[in-house]
Amino acid sequence: MNELTIAMPKGRIFEEAYQMLIEAGFNLPEEVEMSRKLMIEIPEEKIRFILAKPMDVPVYVEHGVADIGIAGKDVLLEQQRVVHELLDLKISTCYIASAGLPNTTMNELAPRIATKYPNIAMKYYKGIGEQVEIIELNGSIELAPMIGLADRIVDIVSTGRTLKENGLVEYEYITEVSSRLIANPVSYRMKGDRIIDLVKRLKKCVD
Amino acid sequence: MSSIKMFEKPLGMRDKFPQIYEKVEAVRHTGRNFLRSRGYEFIKTPTVEYFDTVGKASAISDAHLFKLVDSQGNTLVLRPDMTTPIARVATSKLLKEMIPLRLAYFASVFRAQETEGGRPAEFEQMGIELIGDHSVFADAEVIVTAMELLKQFGLENFKVTIGHAGVLNCILQDYTESIEQEDVLRTLLVQRNYVGFEEAVASFDLPKTKSDALLQFIEEAMTLKEIRDIEKYVRKNDALEYMQQLAKLLEIANLAQYVAFDFTLSSHMSYYTGMLFEVFASGSGFPLGNGGRYDGLLEVFGSKVGATGFSIRVDRLLETITAQASDKEEAIVVLFEEEDFEEALEKIEALRAAGKQATLQLRSSLVDEAAFLTHFTKVVVVGQEEIRGE
Repeated sequence: MNELTIAMPKGRIFEEAYQMLIEAGFNLPEEVEMSRKLMIEIPEEKIRFILAKPMDVPVYVEHGVADIGIAGKDVLLEQQRVVHELLDLKISTCYIASAGLPNTTMNELAPRIATKYPNIAMKYYKGIGEQVEIIELNGSIELAPMIGLADRIVDIVSTGRTLKENGLVEYEYITEVSSRLIANPVSYRMKGDRIIDLVKRLKKCVD
Repeated sequence: MSSIKMFEKPLGMRDKFPQIYEKVEAVRHTGRNFLRSRGYEFIKTPTVEYFDTVGKASAISDAHLFKLVDSQGNTLVLRPDMTTPIARVATSKLLKEMIPLRLAYFASVFRAQETEGGRPAEFEQMGIELIGDHSVFADAEVIVTAMELLKQFGLENFKVTIGHAGVLNCILQDYTESIEQEDVLRTLLVQRNYVGFEEAVASFDLPKTKSDALLQFIEEAMTLKEIRDIEKYVRKNDALEYMQQLAKLLEIANLAQYVAFDFTLSSHMSYYTGMLFEVFASGSGFPLGNGGRYDGLLEVFGSKVGATGFSIRVDRLLETITAQASDKEEAIVVLFEEEDFEEALEKIEALRAAGKQATLQLRSSLVDEAAFLTHFTKVVVVGQEEIRGE
């Protein structure tokens, strides 16, 4: 049996996905000591987890240093990497939307959009026939309309609380997001039996 | 933009140092001998072509082309692949002399690239084109040649995944209700987005028999061991018969163990009208190569004779065969003082005549003799006994 390397995002998604793997019958220790470790070996199942930033999971998978990985649909849409998208795990579901100060319209000359997702935002506005200027930020996106950096933001919304607390309202729903199981195209062929078995077992836990 | 430092190369360009150079040469040597022994003749085409001919016809997207402008204002491209230039030269000239044509190449191709590392903008490809034979035997020959070529490099752990645009089209046509739906599904397959495929099928509101068939097809189609398993989805058509025949030929050639069928395999290029395949091997995160029938490309150049071929990326091939480390070659250096030049010449000629790799070096020019000598396996000093062996 081949060794399988799985890239996982650190934090809550890791825990949820890990529980799913246990549910799917994988022989994993109940408790994993996370602390600062970046790699976890599970010799019983010949599985190795690597723990990465959510944005980086598709990078590891595309380059083939991880065979499969768990990545948010937002990241996949943003980066457009060449990976197989095998299964919707339906965990950490949320959506991407545009938001701004209430009762405002976008600047007609040069509407500005602040976002962590420049590609998604650009594609969306192109799709609705608006030419916009994108300002890329790395966090606290809600600040941008509040202090006049941008007319709208494009960001992830899960409960809508952060928007509300900062006095913003949602304008347009853009797309749904959840965690996906992705695979490297070469691993998918060379370790196909293991990967397809894993997909089948996980699929039962999803539905 | 930071200013360019003197040591920098353009994005994605790499120097090839002696050690790698020799490895590439070894690959070229093995590949060349092998392909020639099968009747494929090597050919070289210009590095630069017109954008309006080769550039536009190529399967490589516009954004990945290196473009230049010549003195007449024509846009030129650095060749992004070898198949297109060969289609050009074959249709305009070579096909008039011989048909079918069997051509091979080993050449650099150029792809303008994004900022990320690990993606060279210039890399070597080795491959063949079999032009002017419409038969399934030509496709079988190409696939067999690809597999035998990999074996020449000691590769055993590889897979060739074969699909057929015609079979896929037939399935998509039969189980959807409009051309738009067909296109949506095909695009999702090109992107290998199986989750999206399932979602799209659900959103189409198809009759249950159709949507069930599509979902079951996608689940099975990726894991087909035998061509038989696909038959229940497809009504009898030429494409399916073609693939059944191809499968049989590969079985006769005793290579079925390396083959997998995948009828979700789809190309963004409309040239790939028939059979297409991808080559995978452990050791590289990216596919080693691909191939297929591209009759459509030949038609762009005004010929209807049909063509098929494959190409392998040499950089990725090297990644997968690095395991077989080569021994360091024997390298001799002959050091001499100015007055011993004549004797030094005699000595080095004797060594070279014996087939040794020998360097002649004036001793007094060396700044750091010890450091220089570490690059050689043997040192000879003229007028002295040997001072260092292996």
